[in-house]
Parts: sequence; C-alpha cells; structure tokens
Amino acid sequence: MVWEFIKSSLVFLIIVLAFVLLLLLPREMEIIHHGGLVFTADFPFTFDLYKEKIAAFIEHFRTEKGFGNNSMGVPILEEVPKLLLRDFTIIAPALLLSMGAGTLLGIVQFYFRDKVIGKVQAFFSWIFSSIPDFFLFIALQYLLIKLFYIGVPKFSLYGNDHWYNFLIPMIAITVFPLVHMVKFTSAALENEMGQDYLRTARSKGLTSLKILKHMIWNCLYSILNQTQFIMLYLLTSLPIMQKLASFQGAGYHLLTSIQEFDEPRALALMLPYLLMMFATIVLSKLLKYKLLPQKAGALQ
Amino acid sequence: MTVLNFCKKNLILTIGSIMLGILLFMTFFGEHLSFIDAELQEIDYLWDENKIPIAPPYEPSAQFPFGTDRDGRDMLSLIVMGAKETLLIILSITLIRYLLAIPLAYFAHRQWLGTNALLNWLNGFLSYVPTIIVVILLVTIPPLIMSPLRPYFVVLIIAIMEIGRVADMIKMEFQQISKREFVTSGNSVGVSSFRLLRRYYLPFIYNKLLISIVGDLGKVMFLLGQLGFLGVFVAQFFVQVDAGMFTFENTSNSWPTFLANSFKDIRGPVWIVFYPALAMTYVIFTFNMLGHGLQKIFR
Repeated sequence: MVWEFIKSSLVFLIIVLAFVLLLLLPREMEIIHHGGLVFTADFPFTFDLYKEKIAAFIEHFRTEKGFGNNSMGVPILEEVPKLLLRDFTIIAPALLLSMGAGTLLGIVQFYFRDKVIGKVQAFFSWIFSSIPDFFLFIALQYLLIKLFYIGVPKFSLYGNDHWYNFLIPMIAITVFPLVHMVKFTSAALENEMGQDYLRTARSKGLTSLKILKHMIWNCLYSILNQTQFIMLYLLTSLPIMQKLASFQGAGYHLLTSIQEFDEPRALALMLPYLLMMFATIVLSKLLKYKLLPQKAGALQ
Repeated sequence: MTVLNFCKKNLILTIGSIMLGILLFMTFFGEHLSFIDAELQEIDYLWDENKIPIAPPYEPSAQFPFGTDRDGRDMLSLIVMGAKETLLIILSITLIRYLLAIPLAYFAHRQWLGTNALLNWLNGFLSYVPTIIVVILLVTIPPLIMSPLRPYFVVLIIAIMEIGRVADMIKMEFQQISKREFVTSGNSVGVSSFRLLRRYYLPFIYNKLLISIVGDLGKVMFLLGQLGFLGVFVAQFFVQVDAGMFTFENTSNSWPTFLANSFKDIRGPVWIVFYPALAMTYVIFTFNMLGHGLQKIFR
C-alpha cells in the first residue's frame, strides 16, 4: 500500500512536470511594424525560445518567491483559495450526488428491472445520458427566461453574487455523471447475476434484499473505480459551465489565464485541479484496500 | 412482414435509423428545400408595423422558425448548410482515431518497442488532465496556427486525444482473443504478424468496433461543442482586422462556430446558441441510439 502511494505520487509529479512543459511552449504573437501601415504577425517557435521561456518561468518563481501577483496586483496565492472555494460549491455536491445518489438509483433500477418502474427509469437514464451538459444549461436558461416573461418571480441567472448562483451550473453538470453511475451500477449488478454464490445464498433461503446486499459489496470495487472518470468529467466540464454562467471560479480564470498567456497563474489554478484528481485516485484506492473484499481473481 | 417484425424487435435501432435518415436527408438535400435559404442572405434591417427599422438578430417567428443570427441570416438555413461540414469533421476525427488506435493496440498487445508503456503513459496523462485543456494548449502552438494545413492538424490532435482510451479497449479484446486456440494454431503455423491481425484478430471484433465507432461519433460531437464554447474550431484563419491587429476569423458554417459568442448571446438572443446546441444534441442522440440498437443485434 505504501509502495502504491509512492508510485501514485511519482506519477503525479511527472504529470505536473509534463503539464508545465506543455504550458510553456512558446505561443505568443509577435507583431512587426514595417513602416507606414504595413504590419506582419509572426509566431516565433524555436527551441531556443522555448529554453528562454522555461528559464524565465523559473526566474519568475525565484524573484517572486512564489507565484507572484496577478495582473491586478493581487497575490495569486490569496486569490486562488477564494476562487477554489466557489469551485467546491459546484464540485462537492456534484461528486457526492453522482457517486451516492447515482449508485443508489442504479441499485433501485436493478432491483425493479422487471417491473414498470425499473423500465421507465432505465429509459429516462438512457435519454439523459445522451444530452450534452452545455445544451442542458442553455435549455434551462432559455426556459427560465421564458418563464420570467410570463410572470414567474425573477432571480439571478448569471454571475456569482448570490448564494444560489451555483445551482444551475451544478444541475447541468451533475446530470451526465449521475446517469452514468445509474447505468453503470445497474449493469455491474446485472453482470453479477448467475454467479455461484448467488445460487448458494438463494438455496439457503436468503431474501432477495439480503442477496442484493452481498451483490453490492462485490460490485463496489468496480463502482469505486468510476470515481476517477466522474471527477475528470466534472473538472473538464466545469470551466465551460462557469464561463457560460459567468460564475467566476477557478475554472473560469484558468481558461482566461491560458488564453492570456499568464503561465504562473494558469499553473496556480491548474495545480489544485491536478491535486483533486490525485486525491480522488489515492482515496478511491485506499477505500478499495480498506473496505472491500478482494474480488475473485483480483489477487493474480 | 419480416422487415416489420425486425423493426418491432429492434425498436431502438429502427428509430435511430429513421433519425439518421432525416439527418442525412437534411444534410445532402436540405439546400433544395423551399424553406431553406441556400444563399444565406444577410438582412440589414426589417420594418416593423410602425415603420421603424429593426436590426437583426430576430426572434424565432413564422418567417424565421429558428430566428436569425446577428447578421440577419436564417438560423435554420445556417444549421442545414453547416451540417455537411460538421458531419464530415466528426466522421474524419473518429475514423482517424480508430485507424491509428488499431495498430497501436496491436503493437501494445504484442509488446513491441515499448508501445505498451507508451499507451499506459498516454492513458495515465489523459485521465489526469482534462482533455479540452490539453487540446487548447496544443492547437495554439505557433507552427500549427500559421500552417495552411491547420484544419487537418486540429482534426488529428482531437483524434489523438482519446486514442489511448480506444486503443486500451481494443487491446483488451485482443488479449481475450489471443487466449483462443485458433490463435495458437496460427502462431504455430508461422503466420506473419500482419496476417495474424487481419485474419485472426480483426474479424472477431468488427461488430464491437462498429458499435464503439458509432458511439464515438456522438462523443466527438460533444467534445467539438465544448471546444466551440472556448473559441477553438477546426476551420479558422488568421487575418489582419486593423492596422497591427490580428485575430482569427471563422471561415465555416460548422455548428460549433455558432457557439463562439455564446457568452454574449446567452444573455440576449438565446436562440443563436440554443438551436445549434439542439442540432448537436440531435446528432449525439441519433448516434447513441444507433450504437445501442446495434449492440442489441450483435449480442
């Protein structure tokens, strides 16, 4: 287990390094004035320039003793926690909802799979898994604007001034992972069917609910494996959703700082994201190790 | 009667095929329909009932069922005219991805020249860093921006982004097949590696490949939509707009380009972003349905 942790940390460090190298590729525009109204734009791209940029980046950290200030003069290290806190108001409920409620709903769907409820649920989870989150967000906005027209009380749809501003982006971003977990859990449980231990349990006269409990423990391994996918999905969609909703979180500023070539700030905002991924991976590994029975054949 | 029975049994596939049929019809013959303006005429202003000129964009109405964009072009016509390019882009991205992934998966399966390690690292990196951020960082590299071949490079980069996931999936299939006896017999007769791939491995995964290619078409559409919001498109050219000012100009009608100003449009003329996003959802839906239906048949 300790060795696993060290390995994961090493991989994390290498990935951070690879990201920094990717970030520092020279991509700034150079406009040359040829006199009069003649201008040409050029994007110089040489290895020397790349080396220069890396050196300047390291120099920046040495002189500023840290990430330094952003373009407004606010220390980046002061700004990032504030932005991240806003991100957490979206990510934390989204993650909990998709992992918790998604798995629960998946169990419900599996349990009632031959009844009408289960079939209706399967149909809806299938439909919702085909709707992209950005469309869901735009459709929600459109609907709300139309509702405001006919007299529903107005509330703020954009920005982050009100406490409830995180709700619409959160709903839009949660639907896909939630539905994915529902589908995944019910499929994983269906895969368990026909295993020998189920027959033994049934022959001993266990109720189907008790058997279900055994099945869930056996499936939890592959369910926990999905955490990384869910987290990656959330972190990918979050910046876009924040941009659409003008929700000034870390993701929103990450995109702007990448587009404005503000590398130290981009790194400062990207690092927490990578750390979140790292934490997700390590925690799900730990949970699997501590909580779960070894799955048949997993020891090989 | 047998056709009808087949349709009844495979309802999802049938609905998916009908949806695909509508999509293809609108893509290839839409421009000849009477309510589609193939010229994409721009309107400077329209008179309202009080003889006051009103500038576009116009709301959805009888004349413009999906409204118009800021240049006064009919959104419905724009979407229909842009369909060909959009579908071509997602199709080429997906096909390139699979054409590259199959050999990669095979090499990784045979453990050649460290391809297995490469695949693992690629997967590791891309399961850490959000895909769109890597795409943004890669497509803004200077040699790419200035190249006249830029659209092709962007297609290639987006294709490569998920190559690891696809190759990993195919590798698993190969690993399963390699345990079968006919592969051992092929090996013992001394069949060349290429023939082993073509005749022994691939025929067994054709239907799985088809299902996952169809499913991937939807995924690529989703990714292109996300990139559209960030202003990264496949077709973009570099132009000078003013003395010493340079920007990128869109040169196509593909759907993601309509999302570029979503930030502004969503607060006013929502329909400019809503309908292209709806069209994308339709495409994703169609391909998901087809994939699901095919899965049922091949099971």
